[in-house]
Amino acid sequence: MVDSFLNEYNLPYPDPIHPIIVHFVIAMILFSVLCDLLGFLTRRNRFFEVSWWNLVVASVSIFFAILFGQFEAALAEPYEAARPVLQLHTLIGWSLGALVVGMTAWRSYLRLHNPLKVPPVYLGAGLLLSGLVCYQVLLGAKLVWVYGLHTSPVVEATRKGLLR
Amino acid sequence: MNPRLLELGLPLGPNGLPYPIPIHPNLVHLTLGLFIIAVVFDLAGAFYPVERSLIKFFGIPAGRANFFDVGWYNLVAAAGITFFTVAAGFFEIMLANPPAGIRSAWGWLALPTMLWHGVGGVLLLATIVGLTVWRGMQRFIWRKGQSRQVQWGYLGACVLTIGALYLHGTLGAQMGSEFAIHNTAAGLLRQGKSPNTLK
Repeated sequence: MVDSFLNEYNLPYPDPIHPIIVHFVIAMILFSVLCDLLGFLTRRNRFFEVSWWNLVVASVSIFFAILFGQFEAALAEPYEAARPVLQLHTLIGWSLGALVVGMTAWRSYLRLHNPLKVPPVYLGAGLLLSGLVCYQVLLGAKLVWVYGLHTSPVVEATRKGLLR
Repeated sequence: MNPRLLELGLPLGPNGLPYPIPIHPNLVHLTLGLFIIAVVFDLAGAFYPVERSLIKFFGIPAGRANFFDVGWYNLVAAAGITFFTVAAGFFEIMLANPPAGIRSAWGWLALPTMLWHGVGGVLLLATIVGLTVWRGMQRFIWRKGQSRQVQWGYLGACVLTIGALYLHGTLGAQMGSEFAIHNTAAGLLRQGKSPNTLK
């Protein structure tokens, strides 16, 4: 059985990896948008470069975040109450993958044309993206801290058949 | 948890907190993401002569000074946010109800895991703030105008700090997934209730 490969968190490795990779998506997107706002307001264009690099890091990281997210979701064995939250987190996760890469392409286009300027419409889109990222973090935090997926007491209860 | 804390009259949920989701683990995303990427970019700046051909090959318009800008601003942001990460951590550690008798993958009990994570958190905050001051001295005084803005010793200290953060984060992950501190579903199971009653 596959079970013999899985530890008390129902994972084949010591700790969940998805929640670690998302550090580099969450922090980088929020900081990128903050730096664009700072650059826009202070007219100090070095903030724009910092913003762009952070967005590039987020774009690369989100690929791995989705990869490990899918893997760990497949092993999560969500019980009834947790299922819709995991589904919504998955749906928004994939959408964010496309949105973040799209934003990076847009931001790179702007940077190539004029590295000293960012139009307000991009800043607005950045704020909307930040809002969606925060909502996604909330859903992910719920999966771990409210529903307890991949935590030992919940995995144990699921294995004993107490939780479906 | 110190039972006298109940005298505060906070309305604690099944997760032992007066709100649904712990705050500290969410701020940790920002501390770690910003600090590690700051170091990565300072390393990229320091080793710029090595990767220059790669950057040219891909045609990325990127200057060495920009790498050090990312290294500096990300570090400043990490230092700023970490005060809140540690403050939230201490609030939540004081309300924690660590389970007795369970041992982590490291063979540690919940209480020492929690205590070391608390002590480590303060030391790491001091370290990150100290590194930020060191980094600022290099940027604005000692190495101002030099093509390599950071000292090798500084980069070494940063890499060691990332190692310490890894160990520290492992303790934190064990508190969350192993001891299930401040976990709602685990709290309900302990009370003999089903997490399926959650909305």
